[in-house]
Amino acid sequence: MPRSSFAERVYRLLLRCYPGEFRDEYEREMLETFRERLGEDRKVGWGAVVMLWRQVLVDSVLRAPGEHLDVLRQDIRYGMRSLRRAPVFALTAIATLALGVGANTAIFSVVHAVALRPLPYDEPERLIRIWEDNQSLAIDGFAVSVPNFVSWRERSRTLDLAASYTRGVTIRGTGDPVRVPSLTATPEFFSILGARPRAGRMFSPSDVGPNAPRVAVITEGLWTRQFGGDPSVLGRVVSIDDGAATIVGVLPEGSVPSEAEFFLPLTIDLATEDRSDHTIQVIGRMKPGVTPDQARSELETIARQLETEFPASNKGWGVTISTLRDWIVPEETRRALFIVLGAVCCVLLIACANVANLMLARAAGRSREIAVRMAIGAGRRRLVRQVLTEGLLLTLAGGAAGVLVAYWTMPLLRTWLPADLPRAGQTDVNAAVLLFSLVICVATGLMFAALPAAAASRGDVLGALKHEARGHTGASQRTRLALAAAQIGLATMLLAGAGLFAQSLLQLKGVTLGFDPANVTSAMMGLPDERYSAPGAAWGFYQRLIERLETSPGIEAAAITSSAPFDGGNTGQPIEAVGPSRLEGKSLQADWRMVSPSYFRTLRISLVRGDLFSGNRQADDRAIVLSEGMARRIWGDADPVGREIAVQPIGNFRVIGVVGDVRNLELALEPNPTMYISTARFLWPAMTLVVRGRTDRVQAGSLIQSIVRELDPELAIYGVRTTEEQIGDSASQPRLNAVLVGLFALMACVLAAVGIYGVLAYLVSQRRQEIGIRMALGAQRSAVIRSVLARGLWLTAVGVGLGIAGALGVSRWIASLMFGVSPTDPFTLALAMTVVTCVALLASYAPARRASRVDPLVALRSD
Amino acid sequence: MSHATDPTVEPLLPLPPAFLHILIALGDGERHGYSIMQEVAERTGGRVRMSPGTLYGSIKRMLGDGLIEELTRVAPPGAAGRQTPTEERRRFYRITRFGRRVAAAEAERLASLLSQARSSGLVPRKA
Repeated sequence: MPRSSFAERVYRLLLRCYPGEFRDEYEREMLETFRERLGEDRKVGWGAVVMLWRQVLVDSVLRAPGEHLDVLRQDIRYGMRSLRRAPVFALTAIATLALGVGANTAIFSVVHAVALRPLPYDEPERLIRIWEDNQSLAIDGFAVSVPNFVSWRERSRTLDLAASYTRGVTIRGTGDPVRVPSLTATPEFFSILGARPRAGRMFSPSDVGPNAPRVAVITEGLWTRQFGGDPSVLGRVVSIDDGAATIVGVLPEGSVPSEAEFFLPLTIDLATEDRSDHTIQVIGRMKPGVTPDQARSELETIARQLETEFPASNKGWGVTISTLRDWIVPEETRRALFIVLGAVCCVLLIACANVANLMLARAAGRSREIAVRMAIGAGRRRLVRQVLTEGLLLTLAGGAAGVLVAYWTMPLLRTWLPADLPRAGQTDVNAAVLLFSLVICVATGLMFAALPAAAASRGDVLGALKHEARGHTGASQRTRLALAAAQIGLATMLLAGAGLFAQSLLQLKGVTLGFDPANVTSAMMGLPDERYSAPGAAWGFYQRLIERLETSPGIEAAAITSSAPFDGGNTGQPIEAVGPSRLEGKSLQADWRMVSPSYFRTLRISLVRGDLFSGNRQADDRAIVLSEGMARRIWGDADPVGREIAVQPIGNFRVIGVVGDVRNLELALEPNPTMYISTARFLWPAMTLVVRGRTDRVQAGSLIQSIVRELDPELAIYGVRTTEEQIGDSASQPRLNAVLVGLFALMACVLAAVGIYGVLAYLVSQRRQEIGIRMALGAQRSAVIRSVLARGLWLTAVGVGLGIAGALGVSRWIASLMFGVSPTDPFTLALAMTVVTCVALLASYAPARRASRVDPLVALRSD
Repeated sequence: MSHATDPTVEPLLPLPPAFLHILIALGDGERHGYSIMQEVAERTGGRVRMSPGTLYGSIKRMLGDGLIEELTRVAPPGAAGRQTPTEERRRFYRITRFGRRVAAAEAERLASLLSQARSSGLVPRKA
């Protein structure tokens, strides 16, 4: 052949655009045709040569991809045909993958909704949340005092700041009075978040100040619900607890990080504010180019200045900041979700290993077919690609079924998700989720098809034709054993994880609460200032209400408090001991609650020492009841009754009694030092009612509502919850972890059992002849069973070892989600090992029995 | 029987122009690829010059459809054109019986189209 010219070398390069098969078939011919055509065209002239080059370029760009498509179409057709010929294999593989992909899609949709999707605010990465803290008082993330907020706002160069506080308002004059959560915020609150009105306007600086007319913004939801979506709502005056307000704007749902439906402007009057009174929540928007660290260090500098300027109120007070994202979706929540996602990925990996094993078994069964096709000239590349295509077809079918499964189970999943999981309500199967599913489908398809494809490419033509290749012994068999061991390993890991989460949950549910939540219902209510501002009027009303409730049939006891256990609220204050104490002059941060005398009886909190409140305004004036833990922290074992503590800025209180410790906030938190003051002396505009029914069938909510209306028809109760529900919420994330990881562990065990069964059954079928010979030579059935079981056990031991190593490896990641159990708890790990081993032995037993039933004569005669 | 209603022929119609050109070029004997290309160019007065990609892409499909077949012989006796050493390694193609039927059906289809064009006055009556 003459030496290639430059033009030919270029053309040869262009031919690379065609699929391998096409090149194998026609490259030489095409090159020769090109050479001859070029020679001829050169004689004709340059125009003809240019025309030729134009043609071959068009060929490479348009025709070559067409050839690729053609090959793909053929592969797909071939793949479909061969799958149709093996429906049991195809359906098993598709169902396995559908399970894996479906579970992954469902969990990813939650992860996406909660942790990955950007917050729905303008440039959310520039938003931060700011708290005050006091290390010396062990106070983290505390509300900010209004004067401090004003100082920050005046002095900060890196931040725009807004302050707000939440409460509830009762709206009157639109049918029955309704109580809705409200937020009182400085005018910049909306602009900092980038919230724009659906109708009307947001707050402006002129809405605050001593003489500004009172305006309000409502959410679209409230507008639809309470005002029928009437456009004339703008300018309408509504009556609320402490006066009236004109509605000036409607806010689209979800435009601010708050549950509030009713917004009022926050007017700051420094003359009435106390720098040591920490009452407001602060958010900030960092100026462009400012990092959270810069913002933090600036605020810390300002805090130190304020400490010097106002030592009485600001000693020890600093700042804590977090990005808005970390505040809304805490690190812990994200970690828990990613761990669940990791668990479900393990299930997918196990499913993949199963399908890979199925395909390997099939490839082994088809080794003759493959060898024949190679012998008649099918390219190795083509065979490999066909196996890959078959894998992709399976995975796409499985994936599509999986996405459907996820889509159908979505409503169920949403009801399962903890109520307090942020943004979980927005969980859906969207484009990002579908993309994720497609990516895992293609990845898994390639992953499980790669091994059989490699096996196909190794295909020993002669061996298979001579029927000696016992299903790719050696390498392929080792691969299958390794896959089964990996499955067992993953299943062990998941089971250990599930065990740990379940133990955590049990421990959590077993904690001592310090009160009895059975049949307790709580509800909130507020008294309008204008009718209950007289001294004793509000307390008088509550006393009548409690008495009326307690004499109602079905109700055992009733009380009011500033915050009921597990209602999500908390109040705290630093105190000092008067006289000698263990505190040695230091202050102690303690939670406090305003409670009516019947509170302890209603919640069945034990009285340890002394007395409880009388309900009499004078008698209860400076009286305080302490929790046992608090009293011990201050005075050790000495009798605290009669001693005094100083609560700034109110003054000194005398201890009249000691009650048992109560877990008020979270199951996982030890009870805080807690003090109780009497509602005869201190009341908030909104209080919480706690009512204990005699049985769990009492409809406490409607009963309370009707009695409240009976006493004052203008009053509304809201936020009716049973305490058991609220406690359940506190355990909802751990419960979800335990349930989901448990579910995935179960799936993993079943899939791994199928995997072990498959591999051993296959090995037995491959060794039938050998087993036959051994039995012909006198081997006992039991010996045959033992040998197969031993193989399974060996496989299991390797897998379990890997799994335990893996579980120990990831223990660091789950440590923070554990409660009362170590992530390396030997009992749990041993239990997981035992369960997996039993499952593996059970799965090995069927192939072992089959091996023992091999008839030597039949086995030796076949082949 | 009309070719146009032959159930095996019909799905292939209308034939891509390149196919028909190749079938016509092979009508009077077997040829190798370049010779087909030359024949088509000659018959069309140089207006149709197929690229190697079009030629071999079409050949591949036509082989698949059974319109043409590849000769197993190395050197064709009495093939059109001169015989060079490269030709000995070349692959030759010839039209199949089925290919002839398809070509005839396509020609009939085009003829009927032409007569319709004539009857509607789009084309002069005399060819």
